[in-house]
Amino acid sequence: MHKSIVIDHICRVEGHGGITVNIKDGKVSEVNMDIFEGSRFFEPLVVGRAYDEVAPILMRICAICSAAHTVVSLMAVENAFGIKVGSQTRLLRELLVQGGNIESHALHLFCLVIPDLLDYPSVIALASDHPQEVKMGLELKKLGNAIQETIGGRAIHPVNAVIDGFGKLPTREQLLDLKEQLRRGLERSLATVDLISSLQIPDFCTSPNVYAALSSDEPGYSLFGDKIALSTGDTKDINVYKEVCREKVVAHSYAKQSWFKNKPFAVGALARIALDGEKLSGEAKKAKERLSLSSHPDNMLYNNAAQTVELVYSIERSMEIIDELVAVGIKQEKPMEVKAKAGTGTGAIEAPRGTLYHSYSFDKTGKLTEADVITPTAQNLANIEKDLRVSVENLIDKPKKSLTPKLEMVVRAYDPCISCAVHLVEVNFE
Amino acid sequence: MIDKPKVGIYGLTGCAGDQLVILNCEDELLDIAGALDIKFFPMAMTGNDEKCPLDIVFVEGTVVQPEDEQMLKKLRERAKLLIAIGTCAAWGGMPAMKNETSRQELKMQVYGAASEAFKTVTPQPVSNFVKVDLAISGCPIEKEQLLQAVASLLHGDLPRLPSYAVCTECKMAEYPCLLVEAGQLCLGPITVAGCKALCPSYGQPCRGCRGPVEEANAASEAKVLQEKGFTSVDIQNRLRTFAASADSLKIESVEECTNA
Repeated sequence: MHKSIVIDHICRVEGHGGITVNIKDGKVSEVNMDIFEGSRFFEPLVVGRAYDEVAPILMRICAICSAAHTVVSLMAVENAFGIKVGSQTRLLRELLVQGGNIESHALHLFCLVIPDLLDYPSVIALASDHPQEVKMGLELKKLGNAIQETIGGRAIHPVNAVIDGFGKLPTREQLLDLKEQLRRGLERSLATVDLISSLQIPDFCTSPNVYAALSSDEPGYSLFGDKIALSTGDTKDINVYKEVCREKVVAHSYAKQSWFKNKPFAVGALARIALDGEKLSGEAKKAKERLSLSSHPDNMLYNNAAQTVELVYSIERSMEIIDELVAVGIKQEKPMEVKAKAGTGTGAIEAPRGTLYHSYSFDKTGKLTEADVITPTAQNLANIEKDLRVSVENLIDKPKKSLTPKLEMVVRAYDPCISCAVHLVEVNFE
Repeated sequence: MIDKPKVGIYGLTGCAGDQLVILNCEDELLDIAGALDIKFFPMAMTGNDEKCPLDIVFVEGTVVQPEDEQMLKKLRERAKLLIAIGTCAAWGGMPAMKNETSRQELKMQVYGAASEAFKTVTPQPVSNFVKVDLAISGCPIEKEQLLQAVASLLHGDLPRLPSYAVCTECKMAEYPCLLVEAGQLCLGPITVAGCKALCPSYGQPCRGCRGPVEEANAASEAKVLQEKGFTSVDIQNRLRTFAASADSLKIESVEECTNA
């Protein structure tokens, strides 16, 4: 019987983390998701900075989610100053974020997860036996990056999205070219649905989950919303996000953990589809049915299937956005001159890995006095530990050699972004 | 020509953006993987070789904790060539922005009483700990510079990187000058080229994400900015965003520059 299982370094995740499981008398006594990525102290670093420096600094919390960090940061600054952006800016920002979602999901599925399901150590090893599938994944990733480059100016750490708009607006031709790429991408995303539906998703990590995601009264599935909906039936305004993410510091982790009503909860693609999947339409709706997402609500390994559905959704939605922009015509709007004032603003967005909050306070000269960033991975950590415990309990009789890759698979299913999770503001002692 | 060099790719503390640039070479990735023997790349591979000697190791990120320093030294011992990728590895990057504030204070702000459990060191670039054979800066690095570096290394050479400023690239592209004409806080004159003046091409000022150009004259830049109406705090903040540890970007105060 095992006494302890220690995985020093989980590979194929972004950042540095490990797993420690202690077992006493055949029962799991302790499960820790260890985070040993170092702290960069982003929130205190940004204190004292002018409002227009906040997004360029805080987007650098994470490369993979930099589009989402950028947009939510701009939204928080605008909310603090009472700036309402126009519909063209809203649509272009959404397009940028959808590009980030496509890139991130394609990277995770093809480079990190599918090698697991087919038992290869890496995407490069996978490419020698399955070159067509890998090329398809890389093309999808490239599509997400093409959108981010066209709208954001760069695939990582976008430079073109600014307060109240964009430095340079895309041309009609650029948008139509993206649409053509998206059309080809849609075919590839549907082939990805075929591929994922042919793979066996194991069920060793099934246990009841509480899900959280942004929601709004607008029709259609969305990565934006003004309320936080929970599968418990609770809803909260985004301005009181701290009532959902009760953070606590745990000794084994540089990242703080989030709990809601003393229960861990999950955010991300599976949470979004569990809460809002009924709003999906078109090919994404069919993909959700094909991947039988509704029948496995409590198996987090299905998060990868949910990401596949969202790959289809983000491509279809990007095409809709382009149609809308082209139909109206790109207006040469210039960002307004900002009148700084003292205030507090919160922004929330569905980043690829789940709900992301940025909240800032500024003094009357527009210098930042306080910042709070809560990332999806920080919210998921407690739930990851819950799922690791369930998995060890289900697999306790298996030899260690076959058990440890399964535990890594649980962590990887969440697509953790450990760089993102490490950070944080002042602690609330309870 | 080195036949299939053994390669390691590793991220110390950072956003993983420079490793992501490698994975973002979608059109070239399989060729790169064919030309190199990648032995150690924990972000993208399982079954990494933790011990074998390496011909080249690419390191991104900043040293912010004892574990980063240990890992960096271990990688240096294993590798013939160590290439720092990204502004964090080359200059310390954003984590080194407020090194005058004690880590203890920052830890207390972030983790409260639990902060004792966390070990930190003052954030520093990798060259403060080990010999660096080449530094490719950028936040993130430019794909083109990375691919050129890999091609040169395969021929047994180190690549030549630009020794001129973003300002030069910007002038060559004939973008309107954001510093002199638009009066923006643009660091183009003192930032090393390689991005084809990306930010100015979008009407945005250079924030210095690539680190300083050789012989950057920060005092003269500060004087121009002061004449444009920027305060000493604004100028110092901008200079100390990506490469605060660079001597060439250190100015005592803007007033002093004016008097110089």
